[in-house]
Amino acid sequence: HSALSRRYVLCEVVSEDPRCRQCIEDRALQLAVRDAITRVHGDYGLACCSISFTVKYLNAYTGTVLLRCRKDSYRLLCSALPFVRYLESRAQRYPCFLNTLHVGGTIRTCQKFLIRYNRTQLLRLLQNCTNEEERQCIQKSLLSCSLTEEQSHSADEEEDDGTE
Amino acid sequence: RGPAGRGMAAAAFERRVLRRAAEHHYLRVRLELPDGGARPNAAQFKQLVVTALRELHGEVGAALPVDVLTYEEKTLSAILRVISSGLVKLWSALTLLGFYQNRRCAFRVLQTSPFLLALSGNSRELVLD
Repeated sequence: HSALSRRYVLCEVVSEDPRCRQCIEDRALQLAVRDAITRVHGDYGLACCSISFTVKYLNAYTGTVLLRCRKDSYRLLCSALPFVRYLESRAQRYPCFLNTLHVGGTIRTCQKFLIRYNRTQLLRLLQNCTNEEERQCIQKSLLSCSLTEEQSHSADEEEDDGTE
Repeated sequence: RGPAGRGMAAAAFERRVLRRAAEHHYLRVRLELPDGGARPNAAQFKQLVVTALRELHGEVGAALPVDVLTYEEKTLSAILRVISSGLVKLWSALTLLGFYQNRRCAFRVLQTSPFLLALSGNSRELVLD
C-alpha cells in the first residue's frame, strides 16, 4: 500500500462568456488555482498544495477539469477553489467560477462519477430543450453513441463510430 | 472519582481533568527594529501582526482573531491574545516576518501561556541576589 496518498478533485468551469472555453488549458488553470491558494492560504498554503499538484485532465467542451494534490492538503485546495474568479490567457481575462463536483482517491473513481454525472446532465439538457429542432438533434446524437467492438476476425461492416 | 470500597459510601470529591480547555493563548512579544528609526504606534503594530499572518497564511490567517492587549511603544513589547486553535499560525507568522516598511525587523516571543496571569512573572528575568 502506498504511503503517498493523493486526492483528485473534479470540477467544472462555469462561465457566461463562451470565449472562456479557450482559456481552459493547463497553464491558465494552474496559474489561476495557484493564485487563489496564495490569496486565501498564503505562502504556507501555496507550498503545501504545490507538492504533487497538477492538472490531470481537461475537457474544454464540457469545462471539466481534474486536479490532483496530496491528501494532506486537499482541504486547502478545495476551500480555495471558490475564489477563482477569472481565467487568463494571452492577456485576456474571462470571468468564470469553478464548481466542485467530486473528490476522489483515484482517477478511476472520478471517472466513474463523471460518466454518471454526464449521463444525468445529458438527460437534463434534453428536458430543458426549448424547441423541437434542438430536441431532435440531441436525441439523434445520443442514439448514435455506441461502443466500438474490436472485430478480430474477417471484416464485417463497421458500426457507427461513437465513443461514450 | 474517590475510591469506593466494598460497601463503603463513595468519598465526597471528584477530580476533573480538562486538557486543552483554554480558549485563548497569550504571548508576550517584542519587536526588534535595529535601525533605530520611527517606532510604530499601537495601530501600526496590530497592522504589522495582521500583515505577517496574511503573508504566511493568506486571508484565512489574516482573519484570525488576534488582539493586542497591551503595547509599549518605548520598548516595542506587547501582549497578544489569540484563539488557541490559531496559536501555531500566529507564532509561525511572527517568526517568519522580516520587514516592517522595508526596514529589517524581527519578532522575539518572550513568554507564552494559556493563562494571562502567568505572563506577569518571568523566571528568566529573575535576579537572584
